[in-house]
Formats: sequence, structure tokens, C-alpha cells
Amino acid sequence: MKLLIELIRSTMLAATPILLASLGGTYTYYANIFNIAMEGMMLIGAFFAVLGSYLSGSWLIGLLAGVGGGLLAALIFVFFAVYMKTDEFVTGIALNMFALGGTTYLLRQIFSVKGAFTSSKIIGIPSWEIPIIDQIPVLGKLLSGYPFIVYLALLLAILVEIHIYKTKFGLRLRATGEDDQTVDSVGINSDQIKSISIILSGVLSGLGGVFLSLGYVTLFAENMSNGRGWIALAVIILTRGRPLGLLMMSLLFGFFDGLGLTLQGTMIPSQITQMVPYLATLVALYFYSKEKRPKEEKPNESLAV
Amino acid sequence: MKRSIFILTLLVGLLAFSMVAMAATPQRVAYIINGGLGDQSFYDSGQAGIEKIEEEYGIKTTTIECNFDPAKYQQSLQSAIQWNADVIFVISYGFEDLLKQYADMYPDKIFVNIDTVVTNSQETITSIDFIEEEGAFMSGIVAGIVTKNTSIPGVNAKKVIGAVGGDEDPVVNAFIYGYEQGAKYIDPEIEVKTIYAGTWTDPVKGKQAANQLYSQGADIVFQIASLTGAGVLEAAAENDLYAIGVDSNQNGIQPGHVVTSDLKNVGDAIYNVYQTIVEGSFKQGEVLRYGLAEGGVGLAIDEHTRAILSQEILDRVNKIREEVMAGKIEIKSYE
Repeated sequence: MKLLIELIRSTMLAATPILLASLGGTYTYYANIFNIAMEGMMLIGAFFAVLGSYLSGSWLIGLLAGVGGGLLAALIFVFFAVYMKTDEFVTGIALNMFALGGTTYLLRQIFSVKGAFTSSKIIGIPSWEIPIIDQIPVLGKLLSGYPFIVYLALLLAILVEIHIYKTKFGLRLRATGEDDQTVDSVGINSDQIKSISIILSGVLSGLGGVFLSLGYVTLFAENMSNGRGWIALAVIILTRGRPLGLLMMSLLFGFFDGLGLTLQGTMIPSQITQMVPYLATLVALYFYSKEKRPKEEKPNESLAV
Repeated sequence: MKRSIFILTLLVGLLAFSMVAMAATPQRVAYIINGGLGDQSFYDSGQAGIEKIEEEYGIKTTTIECNFDPAKYQQSLQSAIQWNADVIFVISYGFEDLLKQYADMYPDKIFVNIDTVVTNSQETITSIDFIEEEGAFMSGIVAGIVTKNTSIPGVNAKKVIGAVGGDEDPVVNAFIYGYEQGAKYIDPEIEVKTIYAGTWTDPVKGKQAANQLYSQGADIVFQIASLTGAGVLEAAAENDLYAIGVDSNQNGIQPGHVVTSDLKNVGDAIYNVYQTIVEGSFKQGEVLRYGLAEGGVGLAIDEHTRAILSQEILDRVNKIREEVMAGKIEIKSYE
């Protein structure tokens, strides 16, 4: 029973960074920008969150610094991919490598450590105990006591859905993704829309990084994003960017991620259990595409992958 | 033609020079590592040994870091030779074959390989092999005592302990094998639950794994997972339970929750080997096994440990340690 509760808790925690990064990436997906830089943006966010929190002693400053780091990475992406018209894929690779090398370098220069940096001076993001609910025996453990970014991420999933599908900006964003020249011809600056979408992806990925280094754990380790940005990209492509789909997929992935570790208690070799989250993703892909195939009129396939 | 004569003269000159250097006690010691310094653990410990040699014997030393870049492996050996090192200590993960080639080419140089056993055809490489099982056995002893002692705050009645490994490989398995033996020595009913995180660099995953172990009734978790392990130590603090660190003294990382650390004293081993070279008792091609008795592995007991464990418990741990060192307790090695 305790293990089950732990499994569900770890599902929420493991899903959050993926959800945040994929919510960010979905903006660029709709703008038809091939953005693979969530991984790097997340890592930069994680680093600056720890730096900010360590130097100021305040998790809020840490959070802002982390989001700022993601924003900075996004601005670099905007400058090259939108205004210098460089290849988006190459820019993304460059940014990811820059993030890994840069944060590792800064870690060594600023904190004189290699590998992981832990300190009691890093103030983590507080957990939110929901009043009343946290008194209920099992439910309280399941719903209450997560770092507040977890709740924020769930809320954001709904907000992003509304933002993309129900607002003027969302319409323009999707139109830009369809055909940016047409958008330009009616007097809307498509470069601006694209830039905003990249900036939003940077901010949200940065927030995902903040959650990793100040929420889930309170430390920074080299390359601590560890592929979560790539999984976010996979999740976006799987669900064709629908924010509520992203939420479901992230939770699913988070669940199987934890289950993979749990299954090691059985006789299944660890090499097999480590594949569980990825196998589950593949299976989900199968069912998702099978379900989606008949109603193909939604024209969001423009992202060529 | 002139050019080749010049090169030949140069070579002869160099050779003569190296002969002179070899005749005296080793004056130049090189330390080649596949990774980089600053890990506060394995490589740094070796560097401390090198510095101690330099200080006490007044000789020249150099450290060559490869930073896990395979392109630098051969360069590192080549430059150590060109630097005219007499003794080359090398941590050769990933370039064992190159090391064999170089050892065969330069049989006069003393090559000491650290942490693994490498044998070249002329059998000139000396290997320092750490007996991980013995250090891990002592970790298992401590974990077993902790999980049975419900007077320690937070410890439950279940006889369950945990281990988080970075990935399934022979070294990690040797650790876990020793750990299990230690725990079973305290009480054969103790159950050891192991999770391999599948990554060495993801503290988030480490925390996730440790949380699962704690939720299954483990009171103490041994991490053998490099950076992933940082998350394990944090999970211990968050659950108000206990963990055991690895390689370097990690007791202070989460004070009050890291009971002890399973150390690997690379530096001491390097220093001891150099000492035997100076004294003349050194034999080329040997495999030197560094276990508990040799001080190669052991537990870090400090004020953080004493804050958690009573003197009585520490005395018991120490007594078992002495029995292992005296050979009264047999620890099986992982094959």
C-alpha cells in the first residue's frame, strides 16, 4: 500500500518536468518550428535556479533565475533561428550542447565542484499542504504535499489548451504554423509570433528545470535534465501537441518510469525494466495513432519529422 | 639522409638520458586518469597520494587528465613516456589495450594500473585491485545493525535494507554482493532490496528509487551510483531515514542521515606502492589486492556517524572489522 502511494506520488513528480517542457514545446510545435532545444533550456533553467537560490537564499529568486535562464536560452534560439534564419535543427543541437558544456563549466568555475553540487544554502521550493485534504488518510498523501510547481503545471496544461485553441493569439500561432507567408500578407508579423512561441517554450522548459533542481531534488548535477527534454519532444509529437493529451502522456510516462524501478523487485532483469517507460510510450503511440486515423482533417501534421 | 641521422642521434640521446634516470630511485612519477580531477572522490583521492609522494620524496610528478575523451588516451600515455616518467600510475578504464601495448613497448617503465587488473604479454604491468566486497561487507554490517535497532529514530521493525546501483555492472554487483553478505552476517533474515537506476548522472531518478525502497520498509539505503546517488542521500534526509555513501566521505552531505561511507583509498594505495618501489621490495607484474586489512577500503566513521550510532554499536562494528582483517570472517568475492 505504501509502495502504491509512493508510486502514484512519483508519477506526479516524474511527470511534472516532462509536462512543463512539453507545454513549452507545444507552442513551437504549433508555430511549425522544429524545436529540439527543450533539453538544453531545461538544463540551463535547473542550473540558474540553483545558482539564484544559493546566492540569494530565497527559492523565489531561484525560481525567477531559472525561468530567466530558460528565457535567455530561448532568446539565443530566437536570434539565430528566426532572425538569422539558421537551420532550426542545427540551432537546437548547438543550444543543447552549449547548455551541457556551459552549465558544467559554470558549475566548476563558480562552485569549484565537478559532478553534483549540494549545499544546505540551496533553498528548495516549498511543498504545498492542501488544507483539509491533507487530513484525509490516503487521499491526503496522494493529493497533498507536492512542491507547488506540480499544481501549477496541472493548471498550466489547462491554460495552455485555452490559450492555443480559444484565443486570438492561439489562432495566429496556428495560422503561422500552417503558412507564415499568408499570415504576413494579412499584416501580422509571423516572426514575432514565432519568437513569442520560442520564448514561451524557453520559459516553460526553464520552469521544468527549476522543478528538477529545486523541487524534486535540491541540488544541481551535470546533465541533470538527462533526456527529459527529448521525452517531452516525443510526447508532443505523439499527441500532436494537444495540451490535455500532453498531460495524459506525461502522467503515463511518469507512472511507467516509476513502475520500471518497482518491477526490479520481481525476477525481471533490470535491463528489461528500464525499457518499460519507452515500451509503454510505443504502445501508447500505436493506440493513439489508431484512434486518430479516421478523423484526419485536423491539419497539424506540418511538422516534418 | 641528414634528417634521419639527426633523428637517430636524438633518439640515442633520449635513450641515454632515460637510462641515467632509471639508474637512480624513480624521480619522475606520472598519474594518468581516464576522467578528470575534482570529483571529490576516486580521482582526487589518487591525486592526494601523488602529492604526498612529491612532498615527501622531493621528486617530480605530473597528472594527465583525459576527461573521458578516448582521443586523449593514447596521447596521455605517449606524453607520460615523453615526459620521461619512471613510474606511471594509470586508471585505464576504456584503454586497457593501449596500456598493454605501451607496457610491452617500454618494459623498463613501471606501469601501475589502478582499480582493475590488466596483464600485458610481458607481464610488466602491476595492478592495484581494490576488494570492493570487503568495504561493502562493512556497509552491510552497519546497515544490518541499523535496521535491527529500533531505538534509532525512524527505524521500523521490518528487517529490510536497500541499495541503489547506477547500473548493473561487475563493480556494482561486487558491491552489492558484499553488502548482502554483511547484512546476512548480522541477521540472515534481513532482506536486501536493490534497484538499478540505469543512469549514473540523474539524481532525480536516484531519489525516486530510494523513495520506493523507503516506502517498502527499508530503513537504510546504500548508494553505489555516482551522481545519481546524490538523490539517494537527499531522499534519506527527506524521509528522515538513513543512507550510506560511497567512494569518498559523504557523511557531511546530509548531516544526520548519512550514517557512514564506504571508502576507496586510492591515494594511500599509490603512496604505498611508490614506497615499495623506493625500498626495492616492489615486484613488476604483481596484482596487489587492497582490502580492509591493507587500508584500501573501509568505512568513514566521523562525528556524523557518532551522532547517529552509539559507541556500543561502533565497538561492535570495529570488532567485526578486526575479525575480517584477521581472516576470521570469510567474504566471498563476486565472480
